[in-house]
This record gives sequence, structure tokens and C-alpha cells, in this order.
Amino acid sequence: MKFLLLIGTTLLMTMPAFGQTTLKGRVTDAKGRALPGANVFIKGTYDGANTDSTGSFRFRTSRNDTATLVVSFIGYESFTKKLALSANQPDVAVRLQEAASELNTVVITAGAFEASDERKMTMLKPMDIVTTAGAQADITATMNLLPGAQRVGEQEGMFVRGGSNLESKVVIDGMIVQNPYFSSLPDVQSRGRFQPFMFKGTSFSTGGYSAQYGQALSSVLLLNTNDKNTNNGLSIGLNLISANVGIDHETKNSTISGSLYYGNLKPLFALIRQNIDWVRDPEFAGSSLTYRLRPTKNGLLKVYGMYSASRLAMNFRDPSVETGPAGPGKTAIDQTNRNAFLTSTYTDSWDEGRWLLNTGLSYSRNHDRMTFNGLDFGRFDSRTQGRLVLTRLLARNNSLLFGAEVHHVTLKNGVMGTTYQLSDTYAATFVESELYLSRKLAGRIGVRGEYSSLLKAFNLAPRLSFAYKTGTFSQISLAAGQFYQTPDYRYLYLNQGLAYERADHLILNYQLIRNQRTFRIETFYKNYAALVREFTGQPFDTNPYRFPWGRTDNTGNGYARGFDLFWRDQKTVKGLDYWVTYSYVDTRRLFSQYSMATTPAFVSNHNASLVTKRYFNKLRTNMGLTYTFTSGRPYYNPNRQNERPDNYFSDRTPAVHNLSYSASYITAVKGNFLVLYATVDNILNTRNVFTYRYTPDNKTRYAVGPQSYRSFFIGGVMMLSKKAKVDLNQL
Amino acid sequence: MKTIIITLTALLLGASSPVWAQSEQYKQAMKDALGTMKGYSEKTPPADMLATANQFERIAGVEQKEWLPRYYAGLMYVYLGFMGKDATEKDKYLDQADKYLKEALALAPKNDELAVLKAYIAQSRMVVDPMNRWQTYGATFQEAVAEAKALNADNPRPYVLEGQSLYYTPEQYGGGAKVACPLLQKAAEKFTTFKPASELHPNWGKNEISPMLAKCQ
Repeated sequence: MKFLLLIGTTLLMTMPAFGQTTLKGRVTDAKGRALPGANVFIKGTYDGANTDSTGSFRFRTSRNDTATLVVSFIGYESFTKKLALSANQPDVAVRLQEAASELNTVVITAGAFEASDERKMTMLKPMDIVTTAGAQADITATMNLLPGAQRVGEQEGMFVRGGSNLESKVVIDGMIVQNPYFSSLPDVQSRGRFQPFMFKGTSFSTGGYSAQYGQALSSVLLLNTNDKNTNNGLSIGLNLISANVGIDHETKNSTISGSLYYGNLKPLFALIRQNIDWVRDPEFAGSSLTYRLRPTKNGLLKVYGMYSASRLAMNFRDPSVETGPAGPGKTAIDQTNRNAFLTSTYTDSWDEGRWLLNTGLSYSRNHDRMTFNGLDFGRFDSRTQGRLVLTRLLARNNSLLFGAEVHHVTLKNGVMGTTYQLSDTYAATFVESELYLSRKLAGRIGVRGEYSSLLKAFNLAPRLSFAYKTGTFSQISLAAGQFYQTPDYRYLYLNQGLAYERADHLILNYQLIRNQRTFRIETFYKNYAALVREFTGQPFDTNPYRFPWGRTDNTGNGYARGFDLFWRDQKTVKGLDYWVTYSYVDTRRLFSQYSMATTPAFVSNHNASLVTKRYFNKLRTNMGLTYTFTSGRPYYNPNRQNERPDNYFSDRTPAVHNLSYSASYITAVKGNFLVLYATVDNILNTRNVFTYRYTPDNKTRYAVGPQSYRSFFIGGVMMLSKKAKVDLNQL
Repeated sequence: MKTIIITLTALLLGASSPVWAQSEQYKQAMKDALGTMKGYSEKTPPADMLATANQFERIAGVEQKEWLPRYYAGLMYVYLGFMGKDATEKDKYLDQADKYLKEALALAPKNDELAVLKAYIAQSRMVVDPMNRWQTYGATFQEAVAEAKALNADNPRPYVLEGQSLYYTPEQYGGGAKVACPLLQKAAEKFTTFKPASELHPNWGKNEISPMLAKCQ
């Protein structure tokens, strides 16, 4: 026994000498290049080493039977291998495969322009929306500086690639926003109702978008609200037209914020000459409330409500009026608006994020009490909607998504004292899958089915897109799909036998993002079918508040084709960030009251913009300069007799130029942040013309232009909280 | 005979290791890695930092119940996050730091040092692109610093990070030496009484703030 023990001890003591195995080898990437600094070890032991500059490793292990070799290196998939260890261990050659990352994996991007902090490879950041000169911190105005958008100065909304503003939708957290802009007035461009700082992500799609979204022939603007407060405490803002106060409060699982504002355009109008005959300076007030709750680890409930009211009166130039309260040649417009919007969404995920749930419920109602020369032209609408989307993430980034939404819409329109009304229940369901065939090739296949109770019709819209990575920094994408939209409700008041309007998109895109420089080119073809045509039996009516009295059917059609370019450079000149866009569109359509296929009056063939930004450290000031060019638009000249294709809408307005400047200065006053900002729009005081109209006798042509020419704006925001972070709202 | 010896060897080795040998081995391995870390500064080549991170990763691989090796691996990646050659590389390192933080938090959910690490990661993320990131990561930084202070009022490191961050923030954004110094002095005060739980527990920060403190006088 003693002997046994002795042998045992001896053996133990001598074990290191012959029990150790030396492991050596080399670690390379898939192409055989050395990977220095990789971690090589035997699983479950301290035995291991780092690879040297040639990718080689060598270490000893006390294991002498079998062992699991693990090789890990940042940016690569871990490698494991079972080894049968022997005294003369042969060299181990390890090839590591690159791990999937944003940089080496293709993304499906055709048609979309994204601003996000969460994803790194985007062309814009949310800050860009507020720091762009000429956009007045208005989300839509910033989007109108991007390729694919056409600027139309006298109307709100987004006109994308030959499409009208009725063909684009604004979507917040998956829910369609019924009234994204302040109430429209003839020949006045209204701002968006939502502040850019509410959103953590913005995606502007100029076509070929996901089956998750419908009811837009041209474009969707997807906005995703913040998951947390941007500041904590009290904030006070004051500018030339309004005063606002906001308060944010945080508890462990929830946040609540509220804001109140009051505005009056009197001070601005006193300083800047208006081209509009205001009778009652616009006055507005509103409030909003946001509540967020995290009931579970991954669950998030968001409730957002807002209410606003406004009042104004103006005299609109209308030479067809002979007598009226505002005198000849003028229509007196009086408008009182009340708008409420309540939306709640709940998102959650289970099973390590493999299941994702997105649900939402929203209600909006909008009432415009409006009279034109004393006659009732009031408008009312409401929309109730519910939405549910379930996403299943599969291996290798693949995913399957399915969902449904239901909307109920009611509308009322007063037209010269008569009220028209209707209601529609609209339901949609969609399935979509993202498939990564490899890291270089990905596809998205989806289909959307819709039903409208008003049209008593179904539609089925397939959507497809592919993306292929052509290099480390570049990729090409292709998108195609069908898009349906219920016709403008104003047509449906008189004719409920109409069918869906349709657009087919085909988009090809190439992009290169490298070292803070971005290049993107996209070309598109859009086919329009089943567009609503009006047969008025009258010459073209240019009155912006006309009501479509004529017979209507779905025999309209058309096309739009073109390309756009985007170049952004944040590198070449240190501190200077600039981007250039150019969009070309060629389109002809037969629709609305146009009596033959033509380029519509809202289309400009060429749109270009140059946006520059620079932060001046010593001045503590961020400055921006933006130049935009919009080529002339067709307008109707009633003096062109015998309307023929060669002279119908053949006249063009002059091109529109605008140079604008913005500056914001950030400082701290007793530990509280103060942001001061100033903007100048149309520095060169260009007398821009958006369109022309004629007097009823066809003799006199008059121009429709902006509300004011050169104008300026100043304001400031103060954050009264030690914890507050600068909110560059309304820069 | 052979069988007996093998069995005996296996028994001796197997039975003994979990009880003392491995924990000694753990301590030794940690000490070795911490030893190499001691000499590190912002001038240390990233390759050396990565090697040390690997060392901690190997320890973490064996010690499934210890948060410390994960904490230090995360910390090394935060340092690397400051050193990366471009935004993509920095984020790649910081993704790795987040991974180790997550693992460590699963083992020690309410831990002041891990809250400090969380703040440090947020700070490093912010520095990559301050213009666009302060809003997200600034908030995370503040929250994590507050959490660390709440979990252990005697820990000087949340004050180190907060003071350091303010020290390098331009005055117009509410930073500068004037506001940073009281915090750094508070950190220094806490260092006089702070005792790490063991020689393996975090004890950094004093040297980092001393050049700034010198300018505070």
C-alpha cells in the first residue's frame, strides 16, 4: 500500500513533465490572412494563449486525452474543435469566419431614406432634421430636401416622384396619421403638427416599401417615437410666434411628459411683410401628454395624446368673385380648427427576442369650422384604428412577420351650405418575410390584402425587394410592388362606385457608404392605373378649393420615371458637413380634371438642393446654409385655344430659388442650458412664383407665390434642470 | 496496477481541484492579468489590451459564477473603445464590452461596480459621435452613475467618471474644471477610506484623476 501511494505521488509529481501537450497552430481569416490577437484556449481550462503578429499560437495544456479547442476573435464567429491530444500534436490551422455585422451584411434599402441613431449605416441622423437650414425644424420640410421629393411651395405634404400630396401617408409607430399637418388653407403651406424631437427614427420611403404599409400610391413617412424622455425637468421656449412650456418627470418604470403652447402670428406679421391679406392673424394653442410604462422587462406601453385649436381669417384672391363680404375679387375665409389625436402602442418580446409584438390603438378627430364668403365649407373627419403585428426572428437574421389592421373613418364636408358625409371601414392583413440567402444577398417578399366597405372591394398587393452587396461599402438593391389607395374621399361623396387607384413601382438603387462619405443613385419607373378621372365639361379650373362636381370613373392612367442622386461628405473639409441632391422626373398622367395626359401642375422636372452645416467651436454656434432649386412647373393658360397635346399645360413658371441660413448658439446659464436660434429664409429676397392663374376673362395672369419673401425667425429654449440635456428643439 | 494508479491520479486531481487548487488557480490567474493591467495607460498598444482582455475571457470561460473576470474583460474593451481607429472599430469593441457587462449583470444584478462599468461604456459610446449620441448615451451615463451612487455611497468611481466627463465637457455645455473639480475632490476624499472587498476587486481611478485634481488647486 505504501508502495502504491509512493508510486502515485511520484507519478503526480512527474506528471507535468510528460502529461503536458503542446498545442500550436495558426489562426487566419477566411482568405488566409493572419489574425493577431485572437484568443485560443482549451474549453474549461486556464490553458490558452493569444495569437502573435503572424497569427501563430503555442501553449501547453495539462490535458492529455481529448479537449475542446476554442478560438475567438472580435468580429469573427467563434471556432470550436474537439481534439484528441497526443504527444506529437500536429499543428492546428484555424480559419475564422467573419461575424455578421452592419458593415458586412447587406440591408434592404431601395426606396428608403433613413435617419436613425440605432442603426449606424444610415445617411441621416435625427439631429439632421433640426439642424438643416431652410427646413425650420419641420420634418416634412427636411424630407422635401431629399432626393425623390418635389417642392411645391403653396401646398403642404409630400409630392414624391410625380405623385400628388394625397399619395403619401405619415405613419407614427405603425399608425396612419389622419391629420399630419395643420389645417390647410388655399395657397398656404401648413407645417407639420409633430415636433422632430419626439422621434428616434425617421424613414422616408419614396417607393417600393414594405407590405406593412398601404393606402399610399407614392410614399410613406415612417416616424418612430422615443422610448424615453429626452430631458428631465422643466423647459421653456419662446420665439417670435409662440411660447411653450414642457415638463418631464421620470419614475422607475414610467415617464410622463406634458407640454402647453400658445402662439400668435401678430408679432411676426408686424415685422415681415405678408403677401397674404390676413384679416385675423392666426392664433393657436395646444397641449400634449406622453406617458410611457415598462410593465415587464421588454414590454413598453406608450400613450400619446394631443389637443390643439386655432383660429384665423384671411381674404383669398379670387377674381371670379363679383361681390362678397370681402369685396370684389376676394373670398373671405374664416377658419376655426379643433384637432385631437390619441394613440397608444404596446410592444413586447419573448423567447430571447425571437418573438416580437407590436400593437396599437388610435383615435383622431379633426374639425374645421370654415366659411368661404359666409357659406359653410366646414370639414370633419375621424379615424379609429387598431393594429397588431407579430414578428418571428429566425436563424441568420431571417424573419417572418404577419399582422392586421382595421380602420374606421368618418368624414363630413360642407360645400356651399350642403353637407356631404360618408364612412368607411377598411381592413388589411399582411405577411412578409426577410430572407438572408447569404450575407451578400437578401430578399424581402410580402403581400398585403385590403378590403374597404365603401368600395366593397378587395385588393391584393405583392411587394418584393432584393439587395446584393457588391463590395465592403457598396450594394445594389431592387424593389418592385403594387400599391393601392382608396380614391380621394371627395370623389366618393358623389360616386361610391369607384375602385382603388393603383401604382406599380420598380426601383433600382446603388449606394456606397465609406468613411463619412455617402453616394447614392436610384432610378425608378412608376406605372399608374385606375386613377380617378373627372369629366367636368368645363375648362380646367385652377381654384384650389374647388369641389369635384363632375362625373367620375377609374379610367385614368399614367407613368413617372426618372432618377435621383445623393452625395454627402462629412470628411473632406474638417468640420464641414454638406450634402447635394438632384432629382429628375419625367411624368405624364391622365387623371383628375385633366382632359388629356399631361405633366401635372404640381410637378417640377428638376429639383436640386445643397445643404451645408458647420459647427464653430469658438463661437459655440452651429450654422447652416441651404440652397434649393426647383425647375418651372406647368400651369394652365386658358388662352391656348383648341387644347391639343402640344399646348395643353405647355406653359412653365420660372424656376424657384431659395437660399436660407440658420444658426443656433448653445450656452449654459447657472447650470441651465440655453439654446438661441435664428433663421433667415430666402436671403436673396427672390420673388418666387409657384404657379399662375388667370382672371375669368382670361385676360390677366396673376402669380401665386410664398406667404412672404425674405423672412427671419428667432427664438430660444431654456432647460431648467440640472439633469437637463440640451434640447435643440426648433433650431 | 495501472488501473489503480490512473484511478488514484484521477481521484487526487479531480477531488482536489474544485476545493482549493482551482480557486487558487483562479486567484493566481486574476492576479497575473491584473498585474499586466496595472502598467496600462492610454499609450499602451491596443494589441496588449486585447491580449489582457483575452486573458480575462479565458478566466471567465472557466469560472462560470464569477462576475469579476467579466467585469475586467468589459473594462478592457471600454479602454479599447476609446482607442479604436474609427467609429466602426470603436463600436465593435464596445459591443464586446456590453456583452461582458450583460454576462456579469446576470451573475451580480445589483452591483455598484457594474453600474460604473455601464456608465463607462455609455461614456465611451458617446465620445464616438458626441453630436448625435449625447442624447441617448448621455442619459444612460447619468442613470448609471446615479445607480452606482445609490448602490454604494462610498464608491469613489461614479464620482471619478462624472468628474472626468464634466472636466472634458466644454463650458458652454455645462462642463469645465469649475463644475468638475468638486466632484473630483469628492472622489479623492472617498478614495482615502475606500477599501476594495478583496485584492481582486476594482480599485482603479485614483491615478486617473490625479492630473486633473492637480489643476483644480
